[in-house]
Amino acid sequence: MRFLLLVILIAVLSAVAEMFLPWWSIAIVAFVISAFAKQNSGRAFLAGFCGIALFWLTAILLRDIPNQHILSARMATLFKLPNHALFIVVTIFIGGLVGGLSAWAGSLIRPRLEVR
Amino acid sequence: MQQSNVRRSYKGWGVLVIVTVLVYLLDRPMGALPALGRLLDPVNGCMANAEPVNKSFSADLKLPVKSGATVWIDERLVPHIHAANDHDLYFLEGYIHAQFRLWQMDMETRAAGGRVSEVVGEKALAYDRKQRQKGMVYAAENSLQAMEADPLTRAMMDAYTEGINQYIANMKFRDYPLEYKLMGFAPEKWTNLRTALLMKYMADDLTGKTDDIAMTYLRDVLPKNDFDLLYPRRIEGATPVIPQGTAFDKPSLSIPTAPPDSVAFPHFNAADFGEKREDGKGSNNWAISGSRTASGAAILCDDPHLGLNLPSLWFEAQLQTPDMNVCGVSLPGAPGIIIGFNDSLTWGLTNNYRDVKDFYLIKPVEGNKNKYWFAGKQLDFNKRVERIRVKGKPDIIDTIDYTIHGPVTYEVQNAKDGGLKKPLAMCWMAHRASNEMQAIYKLNRARNYNQFVDAIMNFQCPAQNFAYADRTGNIALWGQGQFVNQWKDQGRFVMNGSDSSTLWRELIPMRENPHVLNPVQGYVASANQVTTDSTYPYNYTNSGWVNLRAWRINNLLAGMQKASIADMQAMQNDTYSELAAGALPIMLNFVKINTSIDPQAKYFIESLEKWDYKLSADSVNATFFQIWWSCLDHDFWHNYIKNKVPGNLVPLQERTMQELQALNLGILLSHSIPGVHESTILHMRNVVGKSFRAAIDSINKLKKTGTEWYKVKNTSITHLAKLPAFSYDHLKIGGWGNTINAAKGDHGPSWRMIVQMGKEIEAYGVYPGGQSGNPGSKYYADYLQHWVDGKYYRLDFLPNTDKQDDKAIKYTLTIHN
Repeated sequence: MRFLLLVILIAVLSAVAEMFLPWWSIAIVAFVISAFAKQNSGRAFLAGFCGIALFWLTAILLRDIPNQHILSARMATLFKLPNHALFIVVTIFIGGLVGGLSAWAGSLIRPRLEVR
Repeated sequence: MQQSNVRRSYKGWGVLVIVTVLVYLLDRPMGALPALGRLLDPVNGCMANAEPVNKSFSADLKLPVKSGATVWIDERLVPHIHAANDHDLYFLEGYIHAQFRLWQMDMETRAAGGRVSEVVGEKALAYDRKQRQKGMVYAAENSLQAMEADPLTRAMMDAYTEGINQYIANMKFRDYPLEYKLMGFAPEKWTNLRTALLMKYMADDLTGKTDDIAMTYLRDVLPKNDFDLLYPRRIEGATPVIPQGTAFDKPSLSIPTAPPDSVAFPHFNAADFGEKREDGKGSNNWAISGSRTASGAAILCDDPHLGLNLPSLWFEAQLQTPDMNVCGVSLPGAPGIIIGFNDSLTWGLTNNYRDVKDFYLIKPVEGNKNKYWFAGKQLDFNKRVERIRVKGKPDIIDTIDYTIHGPVTYEVQNAKDGGLKKPLAMCWMAHRASNEMQAIYKLNRARNYNQFVDAIMNFQCPAQNFAYADRTGNIALWGQGQFVNQWKDQGRFVMNGSDSSTLWRELIPMRENPHVLNPVQGYVASANQVTTDSTYPYNYTNSGWVNLRAWRINNLLAGMQKASIADMQAMQNDTYSELAAGALPIMLNFVKINTSIDPQAKYFIESLEKWDYKLSADSVNATFFQIWWSCLDHDFWHNYIKNKVPGNLVPLQERTMQELQALNLGILLSHSIPGVHESTILHMRNVVGKSFRAAIDSINKLKKTGTEWYKVKNTSITHLAKLPAFSYDHLKIGGWGNTINAAKGDHGPSWRMIVQMGKEIEAYGVYPGGQSGNPGSKYYADYLQHWVDGKYYRLDFLPNTDKQDDKAIKYTLTIHN
C-alpha cells in the first residue's frame, strides 16, 4: 500500500514538475521523495522506476491513442524498432531507469541525512 | 549501524554520480543521435508532435493585424485567407506557413545561403562553401535591395516576415517541429533576406546547371562536323515553345557580331567533368483555347517537375483581399501564390532553360594574389568575406574573389577529383538584383492579358515559360526572363575573361521576349524544349534542350478537338515513350538479323513487339526497354567518346534515336558514324546485339527483387533530412523523365494542376505530399497515393465574401486585432 502510494506520488509530482521544468526534473523528484520515504533501496528503485514509467506511459498514451500511432510508428522506424509498441516500451524504460536510479540514490543517502 | 549508514551513503553518492552522468548523457546529442532524454520525454519531446487525427484547427486568435480576418481551413487542410488589406493577408500567410512548414523553410533557406554546417556540423562544410562561392548570399542581398526599394514588395515582405516571427515568438520547445528536436537546434527569427534566399534557391535549382566547361573541351577535341552533328543548337524536327512560324517583332537592339574565336574562347587540355547531364528534368505546361475544348472554355495545365521531397516544396492556399481572389500553390518562405489562378485568369510555369550562367577564364597577375588582367589592365579582385559557422568547431572564413564578371568559383569546378585547375569566374543572371516578388504580387491581381504581361515583366530569373489562359478564352505563352543581347554562341563555351569583347552586353527589353497570343493552332505547350524556331532575332544558347515530351504533347494536342478535363488528367499521367516508339522497332530489327536467337531472346523479342510503348508501373517490357536503351546509348558512343567525351556529356538521347533512324533508312550520313571506320551497320548490329544481351542479363538478375518498372526505377519522396522513416519509396507510378508523367527516381511532377476557365472556374490539383510538414500529422503525406494513382482533388475556390457555406470548410480561424 505504502509502496503504491509512493509510486503514485512520484508519478504525480514529476508530472507537475515537468509542466514547468525540463525533462530531467523527473530525476530530482524521484530522488527527493525517496530520500524522505523510509524504505529499503531495492523497493526505492522499484518505486522510482514504476513511478516515472507510469507517468511517461500515461503521457504517451494520452497522445499516442488520439494520434492513431502515426508518430510513434515513425519514431519506431527511425530507431529501427519493429513496431510502435516497442518504441513506447523503450521510452518508458529509459524514463523508468532514470527514475529508479535517482530514487535508489535518494534512499541510500537518506540515512546519512538522518544521522546529521 | 552508523558505519553501515556511512557505507550506504558512500554507495548512495556513487549511484547519484551514475544517475547524474546518465541524465547528462541523455540531455546532449551523441554523434548522429539526438539528445535522447529531451527527444523521448513524452511531455515536451517527440510525442508533443503527435497530432490528434481529429485535431480541430479552429481558434480565436489575437494577433497584431490591422483589422479582423478569417481563415477557413478545408478538409484537406488548405487555408483560405480572407483579409481586409495586404498587410493582414501576407502577415497571415507567413503565420500559417510557419505553423505548418517552419522547419522546411528554415532548412531550405539555410541550404540556399550555405548555413547548413551551423546545424549539422562539419559534414556539410563542403556544401556550404560551394553555396557561398557561387555567390548565393551575394545574389540574395542584391535582390533584397531591389525588393526593399520597392514600397509595394517591401510592405508585402515585411508583413510576411512579421507573421512568421509572430508564430515563432509564441513557440516553446515542445511546439518545435519534430526535426528541430531530432537535429538539436532551434528556430531563429525570419528575415526578408531569407525570402530572397529562397528565390535564389529556386533560381539555382532551375538555372544552375551548365555544360559550358565540358562543351569547351569537346569543341576542341571533336572534329567540327561531328561536334555540330552531336550537339546541335536545335534538334532536327524540334517543336519549339513558341510555335514554328510565329512572327517576331523587329528587335530594338542591334545584334552584336562575335569576336574572333581566338579572342573569345580559351582552350582546355584535360579536365574532369563531373557534372551530370540530367536528361528529362523539366516540366510541362499547356493551354488549350476554347475552340478545342468540350466546354468551350480555355483549359490550362501545368506540372512543374522538381526534386520530390517531404515536406513538399509547395503549399496550397487561397488568398483574398478586397482587390484579389487567388488560389493555387505557394512556396513556404515566400509570400503570394506562385502557380495558380484568380477569378480572371490562370498561369502555369515550366523552366525555360535559356542559358543565363556563363564562365570566364581569369588570368591572374603573376606574383600578385590580388589582381587579374582585364582589357590590358590589372584590376583588383573585390574580396568578399564569407564566415561559415560550423557546429562544434571554430568558424571558417572564406574569402571569395569577385571579378568584373562575377565570383571566381574555383572550388565549384574543383569539387571533384582532378577538376579544372584554372580560375573561372561565374557570370550569372541570378547574381543581379531582381524583384520576382513584384511579379508575383501583380500576377496574383492581374485581371486580363495586358495586366498579366505587365506583371511578368518583373520576372527576371529563373527564366520561365509562362502559359496563360483567361475567362474570355485567350491563351498565351511567354518565354520569360531577363536575357542578354548575345553574339552567336556567346556563353556556349567558357569565354576569355581578360578581353572586353566577351563581356555581357545590354539586356534585351523583356517585352521582346518570345511570346505568342492565341496562335492559329489553338493551343500552346512547353516542355523544356527550344524556345523558338530560328527566326527569333536574338541569339541564345543551351546545350540540353530536350524534345521527347514536347513531341508527345504536341501530337496529343494536335489531335484533340473536344478536350475535356478527363483528357487533360489522362495526358498529365501519360507514360507513352516517344523514344521507345521511335527506336525500339529499329532495335528489334537489328537484333532479328542476328543469327543466334535462343528461346529466351525470342521470348523477349515477342513480348516487346506487342508492347504499347508505355512505361506503365507494372510493365516488364518497360524495364527491359529502359535497360536495353541505356546500355545501347552508352555503347553507341563508347568507341567514340572513350577518353574524349567527359563522363556524362554524351549527346542527347534524341540524337541517339535520330542517328539510329538515319541508319535504319540506310542513309549513311556524309560523315559516317563518328569514330567507326569500317562498316557502320556492322558496328551498330554489334552494339544493339551486345546491349540486348546485357539487358537480358540484367532482367534475370532483377528477378529476385522484381522486374516491374516501378520497382526498378524506384520513385521516392524523401524527407529533406534524408530520414527513411519519414520518406516513401518504390511508389507504384509509371513514367520517366522523357514521358509526360515524368516521375523519375527523385524528380517528377511536383504539382499537377488543371484549370478550366469557364463561367464557373473548375480547378484540379495534386502534389506528392500533404499540407502539414509534421511527420506526426495525418496531413503529412495524405495526397501521396492520389498523386501516385493519377487522381486529383477539386480545388475549393471560395467566393470573395465574408461568409462561406462551402461544405468542404472544416475549421475557422478567427483573427482579432
